Amino acid sequence: MEFTIEGFEGPLDLLLHLIKENKMDIFDIEINLITEQYLKYIHNMEKVNLEVSEYLVLASELIEIKAKMLLPRKQQESEKEEEDPREELVNKLLEYQAYKEISKDLKEKEELRKEIYTKAPERYSDYQEEEITFEGGSVDLLVDAFKKFLLRKQEEKPLNTKVTKKGITVSSRRYEIKNLLKEKGTVNFYQMFTVPTKEYIVVTFIAILEMAKNKELIIHQEGIYDEIICEGV
Amino acid sequence: MEAVLEGLLFVVGDDGLSLEQIKDILEIDFEEIKTLIASLQEEYSKSNRGIKIEFLGNKLKLTTKKEHHLYYQKLLENKETHSLSQAALETLAIVAYNQPLTRIQVDQLRGIASAPMIRKLVAKGFIKESGRSNLPGRPILYETTSDFLDYFGLANIDDLPDMRDFLSNSEDKDEEVDLYESKYKETV
Repeated sequence: MEFTIEGFEGPLDLLLHLIKENKMDIFDIEINLITEQYLKYIHNMEKVNLEVSEYLVLASELIEIKAKMLLPRKQQESEKEEEDPREELVNKLLEYQAYKEISKDLKEKEELRKEIYTKAPERYSDYQEEEITFEGGSVDLLVDAFKKFLLRKQEEKPLNTKVTKKGITVSSRRYEIKNLLKEKGTVNFYQMFTVPTKEYIVVTFIAILEMAKNKELIIHQEGIYDEIICEGV
Repeated sequence: MEAVLEGLLFVVGDDGLSLEQIKDILEIDFEEIKTLIASLQEEYSKSNRGIKIEFLGNKLKLTTKKEHHLYYQKLLENKETHSLSQAALETLAIVAYNQPLTRIQVDQLRGIASAPMIRKLVAKGFIKESGRSNLPGRPILYETTSDFLDYFGLANIDDLPDMRDFLSNSEDKDEEVDLYESKYKETV
C-alpha cells in the first residue's frame, strides 16, 4: 500500500477520510477496521519520518473504544439507555466535519470578496493641524525668542580661521573682567563673551565662576530667564 | 448630504465608517442615515458608476463592483493572489463560531496543536486577544476581528452561515463530500 499523507490537517481529518473511503456511516463506525487502518497509516507516516505524535492520542482513543466494545455488557446496563463507547468520538468527528464544511463556505466567500477592491484610507495626518497652545504667551515673547535664536545662530557661524594663537588664560580674563567691572560697575553676563570662540567662551565662563567663588563679583538674576547681571565688588 | 457621505467614505477608504461615526459627523439620527445610505446606494447601482457601498466588518465602505473585477485584475502585476490555507480557514471557522475561546479549546476541536496557526492569524489581524478566561492559568481568549469579517465579505458576525446546517446528518451530503474528498484519493 502506498499512502499520501500530505493534505491532512490532523488526526480527525485523517479519521474522517478513512470513514469516507470505507463508505461507512459516521454514526456506525466499524471501530475494528478503522482502528486497524488508522494505525497502519500512522505506522507508515513514521516510516517516512513524519511527525506522528499528534496522531497518537486519537490512536489510543480508538484502541480504548475498541476494547470497550469487546467487553461484554452487563445485564443492568443494557436495560438502561445503552451508552455507545463511540458516541464521544462521533460527536467530535461531526463537529470537526462541520468546521471543515464551513471552511469550504468561507473559501467561497474569500474568493467572492477578492472580486471587489477597496482603497487605503487617506493619510489624515497630512491634513491634521498640529495643536499649539500658548499659555500666557504673547507675540513679543516669540519675537524675543527669535532674536535670541538669531544671535545664537550667528555665534554658530563658521569662523574665519586665522591660525594665530592668541593666548587667553583664565587669569588674564579675570584681570580684564575686573577692570571692566571697575569701569562700569555692572555688566550683563552675555556681554562678557565678546569673542565668539569656544576657547574664549569657556575661559571667560570659568573666570566668572572663579571670581564669583572668590567674591570678586556677584551674579544677579531677578527671575528665571531674566538678564543675568554681574556686579563688581 | 449624500455628497458629504460620499466624500467621507472616499477619505476613510478601507477603514470604513461605522453608523455611529456617521451619526456623530453628520449629526443626524439612524433613520436618516439609513435613508441617506439607501439613496446613495441607488445612485451607485446605476451602470455608469464604478463604485458602490458595501457593509463589511460592521463598517460602511466604498468598494469597486464585482462585475468589473477582471479589469482590476489586469491592473495587478502579481496575478497570483494569496488565499488562506485549509488549516487557517478551519481554525478561523472554529474561532468564529466559538469566540471568545482559548488556544486549548481550538486544539481540542481541531485535534491538533494550533499555537503556530493562532499566532499567524493574530499577525494577519484576523483574530485578536480579547482578555483572559477564568479557567486555571487564566489562558488568553481569542476572537475574530473586523478585518476577518471584511476579508470574507461579511457585514457582521451574524452573516456567517448557521452552524446547524453543517452539523446535520452526513448522508445528505455524501455527493458533495465525495467531491471534496477526492483530492485525498490514495493509490492502493
